[in-house]
Amino acid sequence: MMNIMMDMVIRHDGKNWVVENDKLTLSAPTIDGIDEKVRTFMRQNELVKKGDKSKVRMLFDNSTIPQWIRQYGQHYFNRVIEVEG
Amino acid sequence: MADLTNRRWYTGMLTQEDWWAVWLGVGFFFLGLLNLAGIDIVGFLTYPTKWVFNVPEGGKGAIGHAFYAIGKKTSMVSKEFYKGMGWWSIIWTYVAFTIATCTGAAFMRWNLKRFFIGWTIIYFMTIATWFIGHHGFIAANKINMHKYGLNFALSLGGGGSFILALIVGLIIGNFFKPFAIYLSEAAKPEWYIKTAIVTLGVKLGYLPIKLAGFSHKLGKEAAGLTFDLFIAGAAATIVAYMIFWPITYLIARKMFNLPRKTAAVLGSGISICGVSAAVATGGAVRAKPVVSIMVSALVVVWAVIELVVLPGFFTHVWPKTADPIVAGAAMGMSVKTDGADAAAGELLDEFMRNKIAVESNGTVIWPEGIITASAVMTKVWIDMFIGIWAFVLAMVWVYRIDRRPGETVLASEIWHRFPKFVLGYFFCWFFLLAIYFGPGQGGSADAMPYLKTVKAGAVPIEGPMRKLFFMLTFMSLGIITDFKKLKEAQFGKMVWVYFVALFIFIIPIAMIVAYLFHHGMQIPNIAGYVQ
Repeated sequence: MMNIMMDMVIRHDGKNWVVENDKLTLSAPTIDGIDEKVRTFMRQNELVKKGDKSKVRMLFDNSTIPQWIRQYGQHYFNRVIEVEG
Repeated sequence: MADLTNRRWYTGMLTQEDWWAVWLGVGFFFLGLLNLAGIDIVGFLTYPTKWVFNVPEGGKGAIGHAFYAIGKKTSMVSKEFYKGMGWWSIIWTYVAFTIATCTGAAFMRWNLKRFFIGWTIIYFMTIATWFIGHHGFIAANKINMHKYGLNFALSLGGGGSFILALIVGLIIGNFFKPFAIYLSEAAKPEWYIKTAIVTLGVKLGYLPIKLAGFSHKLGKEAAGLTFDLFIAGAAATIVAYMIFWPITYLIARKMFNLPRKTAAVLGSGISICGVSAAVATGGAVRAKPVVSIMVSALVVVWAVIELVVLPGFFTHVWPKTADPIVAGAAMGMSVKTDGADAAAGELLDEFMRNKIAVESNGTVIWPEGIITASAVMTKVWIDMFIGIWAFVLAMVWVYRIDRRPGETVLASEIWHRFPKFVLGYFFCWFFLLAIYFGPGQGGSADAMPYLKTVKAGAVPIEGPMRKLFFMLTFMSLGIITDFKKLKEAQFGKMVWVYFVALFIFIIPIAMIVAYLFHHGMQIPNIAGYVQ
């Protein structure tokens, strides 16, 4: 069973990837940039302790995809990244 | 507000078109099966027949009978009631499907007022084109045109209505754009076609029951044929997948120097199943959504071009009526998007059946729907496989090409990308097969009264409902297709990749693969049993 530490929503605003939840919003032009910012945030706020591992799940916000396309394909991606303390 | 429709495995059940195609198709299927309890509440479904302005003496085709409630012919318990319905069946059908589709639209959080108005306009435009398309001049053939007092007819069968609906839709989509945009809330070709495909499952399951009514042997032949289509469709699809995708990817990369991610998305869009593959692959390779959106816009336009060209090509150039199942299967592998493919398959079905009837002077008549089924079967397999293909691509991309340490590709992605309407299609098909082989005793004479009751429930769904949703698909496809998109500068190379891949590689290879796996499959001849 996957132990998810934090759930976030991921979307694309046309220029940047944006991840957010009720506590924070982060954005970056690449997915790698997003992952780096999430890891930094978690370490700085001690959401993951040194030597520990934690997982963050990013659920794709389907409203990023225009409605007329959603009738053809209704899933872009969900992803999980591991954060080491 | 964020749309997290795929948060858990079940969260899209009330919010996605895919699932609503299942609820609509299976829901009406079960309403039809109430016939087994002596209740017929689906006989009101409206159905057109050929008509002419001046009916010859002793002939057929009075305008007053151009639309009728199907229960007039099929109902075991309310035949007289449905006989009196005539054109009013259009309104009954409108009310029933308006309630059903608006319920779906409300759950999917669409703009209900706009959907209701758009749906109403699209429904009545569809009925109007269905009516015009059934004029004897368009729909009759040389075998039956004299009954309508005609000396010449186009022999298009029901295909004429489909073509008209598409033309009307395209005129709106390309010349009345504000109107098309307004209608777009209800112009949902994928929802309508997925619903039609679920009811095609009813058609496949009902086929052995129908033919058993002619002869026990024909019933068994039909059951065997549908099973052969199932197996051959799977094999052909997997072979085609393995050839199409790498070729298209290489064309995009080597001939047109497109970036890796764009080539992957385009490769899936062109070679696999159009928009759904483009979206799935875009997500799998973590491309910016705009890449999938651009490819999707392109796919929709090209799919309509294929829909217009291929049914006529397969009917009149190759393989003609010599190998109709090969043509259907090739269609399924060539035409992108479920809507355009199933619509093209249905058009091919109408063209081929009319052609063989005319060529054989009425001595060969094929039951309708089998050629459509062969086109849809390969597409259904392609649809099911896309989830697995996208999963493989995601692993290749995340673990090899764009290596991201710490990222996991979730197996649940396969389920989220699985086309749920397929569940409804198989459910209806196998449910009726279970009835045929179970209480129907494989079509034995003793079970015929029971099977006739099943028929009374199945025919309104596999006939009028399926055809209506096909008509709605043609109309909606036209409305959302804007040919100007092909001219838009940013597509540039993509348009040419599409052209080269489709016409030089995909269609010819699809024809070869379809031939290898489907050549020799025979459609039962029912000429001796029908007038």
